[in-house]
Amino acid sequence: MNAPDELDLMAYADGQLPPDRVAAVEAALARDADAAARVAAIREQNRRLREGLDSWLAEPSPERLLAAAAPPQTSRPAPWWRPALALAATLVLGLAVGWFGRDALLDRQGTPTTFARQAAFAHALYTADPRRPVEVWANEEKGLVTWLTRRMGVQAHAPDLNSVGFALVGGRLLSGHEKPTALLMYENADKQRLTLQWRKMAPGADETAFRYAIEDGVSIFYWIDHDCAYALSGNLDRAQLLAVARVVYGQLAAADAAPPRK
Amino acid sequence: MADGALPHPELVAAIPRLRRYARALTGEATRADDLVQDTLARAWEKRRLWQAGSDLRAWLFTVMHNVFVNQRAVARRDARNVSLDDDGVGEVWQIAVRPGQQARVEFAETVEQMGRLPAEQREVLLLAAVEEMKYEEIAAVLDIPVGTVMSRLSRAREKLRRAAEGGVPALRAVK
Repeated sequence: MNAPDELDLMAYADGQLPPDRVAAVEAALARDADAAARVAAIREQNRRLREGLDSWLAEPSPERLLAAAAPPQTSRPAPWWRPALALAATLVLGLAVGWFGRDALLDRQGTPTTFARQAAFAHALYTADPRRPVEVWANEEKGLVTWLTRRMGVQAHAPDLNSVGFALVGGRLLSGHEKPTALLMYENADKQRLTLQWRKMAPGADETAFRYAIEDGVSIFYWIDHDCAYALSGNLDRAQLLAVARVVYGQLAAADAAPPRK
Repeated sequence: MADGALPHPELVAAIPRLRRYARALTGEATRADDLVQDTLARAWEKRRLWQAGSDLRAWLFTVMHNVFVNQRAVARRDARNVSLDDDGVGEVWQIAVRPGQQARVEFAETVEQMGRLPAEQREVLLLAAVEEMKYEEIAAVLDIPVGTVMSRLSRAREKLRRAAEGGVPALRAVK
């Protein structure tokens, strides 16, 4: 076997050395302190580069790149989820979509059908985020609930979904629409994720029963209750998601009925 | 069939890595995001070239490299006064590297020194050290032989090491 050269050392440091060479290189490293130092220096350099660039990796993605991650639209109205979208355009879009036909005629910004589709988008976006799916994690649940309550102007609750196998991951606040939306994320043992989102509506909004929609594989149950629109989203089948929605609704109703804590 | 289709989750998941690489390549935040946006647009155009089951991230980096090379060729053609370095590309880093809360100042220095490498060397170093790709994957992304990947990588690391030591060449022990 030839003595290890500079490129062997480098490949070893990168974990790229062919298995049949590893033994020879490791033996050489045991004998040669300078070579061992060389390998350590490469690994240290790698680490510094990764840690130095870590803050870039952690940045939230700008909206125009999220838009580019969707299939390109051809001669269609601007995507419904762009915050800059005018009310008129929302109506046009609502009318153009056959699935929501009847509801689209009643469509106003912030009413259930638009909200459900926005919730589906946010669900797909944040459940796929490998670094920061939530802003505040479940270990700070009390602080999370306080924060969401203050920012939303309505008492927040984090339903306990352990009975249906889901644990709280954490939460975040979404802005970019005319009103903020709270998002809580849950996960089960199979790493399936649900999101519960809610947004305050204009006073006098009609209460609704559960409505069901599917957007690009994301199932959503949504409803309005006490001037607040809720959306529970996930990749579960309808029956499973309905079961969870009922648990959520039941807990929210019970929390509202309970005397306020101070 | 729904109007206003949602972003593809795997593409969304790839965006932070693509941005990191693009920023390190171009040295400027807005140009970097332009490059990522063009990359995603090209990826949709060429999606039939991606083989389902193969590494999507590696393929996206390949697309980005091609977009970058084409744009650089156009820029060179159009530029009147281009200051050339080793590989003929006159890119000046404009990004100030601010260390995060946990990162130390040394890390920022290492990154800035990387920014001063010629683009060819910066590319291989980023893909190997930061993206932790295999040499064969890097060869595919950059469309060069594996041997070239390794020799460029070795030169890049040597240059970086010398810059970190303030330009003093290392003493090589002969055993």
